[in-house]
Amino acid sequence: MAELQGLGANLSEAEKAGVEIVAVSPDPNERSQKLAEGLRLGYRFLTDRDLAVTRRYGLVHAHAGPNGEDVPRPATVVLDRDGVVRWFSVTRNFQVRPDPDHVLRAVRAL
Amino acid sequence: MTVSTKLAALSVVIVIAAVAGYALLLRVVIVRNHPEGYVIAFALATALAALAVARARARRWPAWLALGLTSLLLVGGAWFNFVAARVPDTPTVLRVGERPPDFTLPDAAGREVSLADYRGKKPVVLVFYRGYW
Repeated sequence: MAELQGLGANLSEAEKAGVEIVAVSPDPNERSQKLAEGLRLGYRFLTDRDLAVTRRYGLVHAHAGPNGEDVPRPATVVLDRDGVVRWFSVTRNFQVRPDPDHVLRAVRAL
Repeated sequence: MTVSTKLAALSVVIVIAAVAGYALLLRVVIVRNHPEGYVIAFALATALAALAVARARARRWPAWLALGLTSLLLVGGAWFNFVAARVPDTPTVLRVGERPPDFTLPDAAGREVSLADYRGKKPVVLVFYRGYW
C-alpha cells in the first residue's frame, strides 16, 4: 500500500478528478478500499484473485509469497486517454517502488 | 568504560538506529528505495565491533556479543536485500506506445470494471501490488 499512499498524497484534488488510479491485486479488496477511503484517496481496487490478468501481463513472481504461492511483481503503468502506455516501471527488488514524483511527472506529461 | 566497550556499544547503537530508521521512515521515498542503506549500516557496525574485539584486553564479552549481533544482521540483511527481495526480470507485455491487453475485473463493490471503460475518457495509473500488506 505504501506506493498507493505516496501517489495519493502527491496528487492535487484536480488531478485526482482527472486521472483514474486503478489498483490490481489478488487480495480481497474490501480492506484496501476501506483503507483508501480512510485516507481519502480516490482509487479503484480490482481483485485479480487467480492472477489471470497479472499473468497475462507477464507480472507474476512465481512462488514468492509467504506460503510459496505466486504473487504479483509490483508494477506501475501510466496509460494516456487512448489507453496507450506512456510510462511504466516494474520493480527489480520488492522493497523498492517507483518514486511518486516520477509517476506524477509521467501523468502531467500526458 | 574501555575503548573496546565503547566501540561495541557504538556498533549496537548503529544497528538499532538502522533498523528503527528504516522501519519508521519507510514512507520516505529515498529511504524506502535505498534498502541497501541498512546493509551498509550493518557492515559499518560489524567493522566497529570487529575493531572492538581486536582492542579488547580484559572484559572481552561485550565486544564479542556486539560482533555476533552485528555480523548476524549483516549476513541476514544482505541476504534479504540482495537475494530474497530480488524480483526476476522476466518479459512483460508492457511497451511504451502500445496498448496493453484489455481486462475485466470486479471492484470492491463487486462491479465489473474494464480497462477499456476509461478509453477516450481518462488517463489511468494502473498499479499492480501484492496486497493489503
